[in-house]
Amino acid sequence: MAQFEIKDLNFSYPTNEEKKALDGINLSIEQGQYITVCGRSGSGKTTLLRHLKSVLTPHGKTSGEILFNGRPLAEADLRTQSSQIGFVMQNPDSQIVTDKVWHELAFGLESLGEDQKTIRTRVAEMASYFGIQGWFHRDVKDLSGGQKQLLNLASIMAMQPSVLILDEPTSQLDPIAAADFLNTVRKINLELGTTIIITEHRLEDIFHASDRVVIMDKGRIVADDAPKKVGALLKREDSPMFAAMPSPVQIYYGACGDEAAAGECPLTVREGRSWLSREFPDGKPEICEIHEAEELSEVTDPAIYLKEIWFRYEKDAPDVLKGVSLAVPAGELSAIVGGNGTGKSTTLKSICNICRPYRGQVYINGQKIDKYKGKELFRNNLAMLPQDPQNLFVKKKVREELEEMVKGEGASDKIREIAALCEIEELMDSHPYDLSGGEQQRAALAKVLLTDPKVLLLDEPTKGMDNFFKLKFAKILADLKARGITILMVSHDVEFCARYADRVSMFFDGGIITTNTPRRFFSQNSFYTTAANRMSRHLFDNAITNEDVISLCKENGK
Amino acid sequence: MKFDSYHPVINFIYFTAAIAFTIAFHHPVFLAISYAAAFAYSVKLGGVKALIFNLCLVPFMVIYALWYSYYNHFGVTVLGQNFAGNDMTLESLVFGVVISVTAAAVIMWMSCVFRVISSDKVVYLFGRISPKLSLFLSILLRSVPRIKETARRVSIAQRGIGRKGPLRILSIMMTWTLESFASSSESMKSRGYSLRGRTAFSIYRFDNRDRSFVVMIFLCLTLILMAIMFDQTNIHYDPEIIMNRVTPVSYIFYAAYAALLLLPMGLQIAGELRFKSNLGKGEQWTETFEAE
Repeated sequence: MAQFEIKDLNFSYPTNEEKKALDGINLSIEQGQYITVCGRSGSGKTTLLRHLKSVLTPHGKTSGEILFNGRPLAEADLRTQSSQIGFVMQNPDSQIVTDKVWHELAFGLESLGEDQKTIRTRVAEMASYFGIQGWFHRDVKDLSGGQKQLLNLASIMAMQPSVLILDEPTSQLDPIAAADFLNTVRKINLELGTTIIITEHRLEDIFHASDRVVIMDKGRIVADDAPKKVGALLKREDSPMFAAMPSPVQIYYGACGDEAAAGECPLTVREGRSWLSREFPDGKPEICEIHEAEELSEVTDPAIYLKEIWFRYEKDAPDVLKGVSLAVPAGELSAIVGGNGTGKSTTLKSICNICRPYRGQVYINGQKIDKYKGKELFRNNLAMLPQDPQNLFVKKKVREELEEMVKGEGASDKIREIAALCEIEELMDSHPYDLSGGEQQRAALAKVLLTDPKVLLLDEPTKGMDNFFKLKFAKILADLKARGITILMVSHDVEFCARYADRVSMFFDGGIITTNTPRRFFSQNSFYTTAANRMSRHLFDNAITNEDVISLCKENGK
Repeated sequence: MKFDSYHPVINFIYFTAAIAFTIAFHHPVFLAISYAAAFAYSVKLGGVKALIFNLCLVPFMVIYALWYSYYNHFGVTVLGQNFAGNDMTLESLVFGVVISVTAAAVIMWMSCVFRVISSDKVVYLFGRISPKLSLFLSILLRSVPRIKETARRVSIAQRGIGRKGPLRILSIMMTWTLESFASSSESMKSRGYSLRGRTAFSIYRFDNRDRSFVVMIFLCLTLILMAIMFDQTNIHYDPEIIMNRVTPVSYIFYAAYAALLLLPMGLQIAGELRFKSNLGKGEQWTETFEAE
């Protein structure tokens, strides 16, 4: 008997009854399986997941049937559902209810009315299993994002659920914390046999672990198969979803073409490497380099110039920036990569004068930052898109957000133009908080662009974006560059930087360590680099994107 | 060892007793004991900062006592006349001093309360009354810093596009707060919040150390109650200073009061001494071990 059996499930939201958010879903999930659900944002993943727990099911028109352990889900009472079906949501912060870690762990057990002794044992057990002992007594507000999400997971596992549903749990986390979290989920699946149903953008970390991958588009399930087979299907149908597959899968199908169906698709970097080695049994092929002509030229006349800036948040606090020097050439897309808490965001803040360095100078378009009077610095000059785009919104409608940025003649034309560029025309009358993550990002970008900046600062712009939208976003950035706008972005997303940046700098320990073209930069690194590079570095010298590897394979006649 | 490691109920009983007695007893000896104990304990807990704070209270106490005697004219022992021609009396001056010392002592006791009773202890104490009430408090304690942090971030984001001012973000912060309550209530529902028979878990245990502390507190409280019954804590300031005679038995009461108020500090110091001497023995032990 399947744990979950979904039969002919249809659903539409009351706001838009014509459009089916879920359209004829049939799905059967066995106890202990690891199921990955993917699809672009708005494809109905979250709606489907929320149907698996009655208290979270959205209101609307439903037909069809959901069976939980052979009986209709609606018949399972609140007590059973609360403890048996665990649900981890996207935002780590808004799920936490209480102020102390230990209290949060006990919350669900308190609801179930367990006695002191039972709760004490279970909480101790959970804290030990998840490695929480060290911060057991801490205030929730002092935890990092990754710790918060781990706490959410632990406090749900304390209720000993038989199925764990996770809705984009790592979209707000940095790559290291995300990988950590997903490993823990994997461990739960392997060691406890808990069923896992997860949606994710970051397929690299979970694709190989899944028993099945379910792909959704426009409320339907378009594919439901083992991870090794799903790629073939998507490639055959030339689905846009193919762009979300992990690098090894994309490279494999890109390079092999029609022969791909015969072999076995690699899912991880390790499998990808050995597949490539089999393709080139004689070691390095003839053509093992992608030609790159220009060396990185000396920057003359930079748009942003940082001259050994030093900064600390408090008088006695340690330095965050320790002599950062950086020259950002005008009209290019420059990227700064580096670990968490190294001071990347602080650098951006000091460029727009939110953090004032106590030593060193910041020059914007050749002029010292202190020389800009009043609002001059931000008028047609400089603008920053913050890490969480939601923080930019202060009005009740997207339209009002945009209208407050430009006044006077031609304002409405300008708003229309920018709205078209960012593709938000249809969202103009929504409340900014009702938008999805990607939509918020676009609306925030539109708002920032209406200041008509020459220099645009982006703080982790691709955080929480799915791969389809990243393609769109890259196009927007290319458009902006074509208009002569200088873009400086800070990012964890090495894949994105490798593909689209003109130059990449490494930030470490309060300073810029090195700057180079993305190709040189990433091909010189061996850990901090793209999956495509890690997969192919034993054969090709400087392939950093999926396309690089595919084209080199083809050039060598494979 | 430290008083904050004792059970919250004990912390609560102790401080309630200390503050209630300080306010109730106008008897100079009892008041002096309370003042001295509060002074010492707050300095023990708060170090130099607390010492400076306590010393800063002194001038206010003096000013208040003078001001009081300047405007209140009860009493029979005339010391002189103020500029309006009213009598200044010894009784009103003394009573002014008593009030200001009481106030200062209560303030110092409160500073100890804040250092010992942390927010989760308050939450626990309310949980004894009602689990829902304590959960509500806990949610509040989580929300306030979160709202502050978000307001800070929003304001930084606004500065990044050259916009400033707290009025600008006020309305969106309200929306954000409502929104965040909505999503945390979803998470609460998902974890069975609305089920009947909710319990309140606490990490505190009532062990033997707590029990012996309770015995000591109640021993002292009994003696103090006797003192109250014998009118030993009573005193009149108006129209003249009248109090019961100080007998040898009175000293027992004073000692009980001092013992009660100094108990937590005494235990802490005793614990520290024991720890130090243990550490010393440990070192010796390591030395001999190394010598072998």
